[in-house]
Amino acid sequence: MKKRIAALTVALSLSMFGAAAVSAQAPATAAAPQATATAAAPVQAAAPPAQATGATQAAPAPNAAAKVAAAPAKGGAPAKITPNRGITIGMFALIIAVTMGVVVWAAKKTQTASDFYTAGGGITGFQNGWAIAGDYMSAASFLGMSGLISLYGIDGFMYAVGPMFSFIAILLVIAEPCRNAGKYTLGDILSFRSSPKVVRGVAALSTVTVSIFYLIAQMVGAGKLMQMLLNIPYRVSVIGVGALMVAYVVFGGMKATTWVQIIKASLLMGATTVLCLLVAIKAGFNPVGFFTDVVSNSAIQEHVRMNVLKDVIAKPGVDYGQRFLEPGLFLKNPLDQISLGLAWALGAAGLPHILMRFFTVPSAKDARKSIIVALFLNSSFFFMISVIGFGAALYLTPQAISAVDKGGNMATLLLAQHMGGGPGSLGGDIFLAFICAVAFATILAVVSGLVLAASAAIAHDVYVNIIKDGKADQQLQVKVARITSLFVGTSAIVMGLMAEKENVVALVALAFAVAASGNFPVIMFSLFWRKFNTAGIVSGLVVGTISALALVMVSPVMTYPKKIAADAKKVVETLEKKQAGGAVLAEKEVQALEKSRAEYVKNKDGKSMVGLDAPIFPLKNPGIVSIPLGFMAAFFGCLLFRERRAEEMFDEIDVRQNTGIGIAKAADH
Amino acid sequence: MSEKQQWEAIANHSKFIELKRKKRNFLFSWWIISTIYYLLLPVISGYFPEAFRVKVIGPINFGYLFILSQFVMAIGVAIYYAHVANKTFDRLTKQLLEALQ
Repeated sequence: MKKRIAALTVALSLSMFGAAAVSAQAPATAAAPQATATAAAPVQAAAPPAQATGATQAAPAPNAAAKVAAAPAKGGAPAKITPNRGITIGMFALIIAVTMGVVVWAAKKTQTASDFYTAGGGITGFQNGWAIAGDYMSAASFLGMSGLISLYGIDGFMYAVGPMFSFIAILLVIAEPCRNAGKYTLGDILSFRSSPKVVRGVAALSTVTVSIFYLIAQMVGAGKLMQMLLNIPYRVSVIGVGALMVAYVVFGGMKATTWVQIIKASLLMGATTVLCLLVAIKAGFNPVGFFTDVVSNSAIQEHVRMNVLKDVIAKPGVDYGQRFLEPGLFLKNPLDQISLGLAWALGAAGLPHILMRFFTVPSAKDARKSIIVALFLNSSFFFMISVIGFGAALYLTPQAISAVDKGGNMATLLLAQHMGGGPGSLGGDIFLAFICAVAFATILAVVSGLVLAASAAIAHDVYVNIIKDGKADQQLQVKVARITSLFVGTSAIVMGLMAEKENVVALVALAFAVAASGNFPVIMFSLFWRKFNTAGIVSGLVVGTISALALVMVSPVMTYPKKIAADAKKVVETLEKKQAGGAVLAEKEVQALEKSRAEYVKNKDGKSMVGLDAPIFPLKNPGIVSIPLGFMAAFFGCLLFRERRAEEMFDEIDVRQNTGIGIAKAADH
Repeated sequence: MSEKQQWEAIANHSKFIELKRKKRNFLFSWWIISTIYYLLLPVISGYFPEAFRVKVIGPINFGYLFILSQFVMAIGVAIYYAHVANKTFDRLTKQLLEALQ
């Protein structure tokens, strides 16, 4: 039965991609960015709040027109990336077939709740390390980060430090204690010595909030990526990706999700290593020579001067090439950077889908090992991505990269095509198709983990432990978990379809801010503070979550129609002035003029989602305010309502988390 | 002995107290040190960008090397921690478990 369903899903998704690819020969421009806010960084937006900082600066609409006016378009043809359809679809099919094989194999072994949520605790530390590393290597870091580096130099590289460093907090204070004290979910850790029902309810709510925000952002990113790569319509790709993700989780549970993640992480590491090596060979393994070439490259110099700094006339004494290796081209507000840094350093440790991974290994020692493996893999990955980014800038020029996608998201793909032998060559086609397929696998693997985390919170915390008082047999638990996953996955598809024009950057910023301000403080206090209790958990989670949500809602990452209208008006005025001056507008300028006029009319009376004309809170990342608020709320809430039982039970959680005595019994298997 | 008393007994065991003290001192101090080093990155690049511009080798400047040093720091802390945990913490835990038998 399961086999048949899996086969059906493969057939369905394949036919969908096939049909879409053939039918969607529509002009590429139709698929091109519509809403400036979202289009600026569809892929990188799926990254943690990192990208939040720049998405709006990356490609503001008016500059597009200004650029057109300033730099004559080369040959007039719109630049785009053209993967070989046959080879690419073949690679996609191969990946779907292999992962579906994993699902069928895992489905047979998934009988108990423990199998479903944690693969029966039977993943080794090494395997889990690859899976965790895979959770960090999202399409955002793979495509977005190299693009950012290729367009903004060292500022892009600075983004890589946050995700890499986030492992330290996880390694030192989260992974081992959570493995020792927890079972399947965040609720299990928090409800240890507090009123279980209340705490589980709030923890489940927080987990679902974080996972869903993150999930929708990934779905929207997936839709846009497939649209850009293969001209598959947005809707079709969201439904296709969604159907596969649901199949992975519902049938294969954690085991399939983990193995899909491991497979994709190895493919990604392999592809990145090859690409990085090709760049290194081309540069003669000489870093000084490589960077000398970068700073003396006239295309890069011109890009920095014209497109980034907008110095129409070169300022005397400024070395625009060297400027590429200096900070400040992309990251402008230091306070925002610090806030973002904090969100990374703490938020990743509060992400439910990362937390869940510690329960898949048999002991704290394995949890430790998995984080160290993940740290090694990711730091080498991010380092190689930086080489790819600078290599793309040097060998392809930032102009060519931003011509294909303003946010630079296609840099890695273009470089692969270039290094494989260039567009149209067999090597180029194969390499490009391979990288596209890997990017696709990446999205699938990441979204599956998120669906699993959200459905575990609903099925395990809410249904089994609140509604059923923990009294549900294994068969029923697995059945409920599967139904919940189906439900969560379907909702994610629907929300992904509705969120096409939403600002995904805001969604990711939200997920991270909530994880850092709500989840992290209460996990820390639960593990390390004797007096901590129910009131502290509830107030910490509620205040942390709400303050993070509220600050993002009034922050600059939201869309402010009046601002868009004002920008559009500027474009209209500039171009009309040019027209009035007797100049004949180029076709692109006429288009820009019409688009801006329409945009102005559409947005001139609009307000942001919460009814504002302009942001109230100046930072894009609320962490610097909301994290202390979360900690304080947890602290004072706990002191306000003392609870003797919680204090008495501290010894138990303290002994457990430090020694692993009574570890969530391997009893389940 | 009730379950609660059992946990209390372990929590007051000299070996457990030693393990816990060593662990917390090590983990929290390294966590704080590394976090301060990590936060220096946005602080220096944001408020003292001229420091990042100082060229060190050819066009490679202090900023680039400082970012690389973050990677080295994180890996260094991880390796050191793994070493201490494997050697000291795991041994103390094992001793405690044996003493409890």
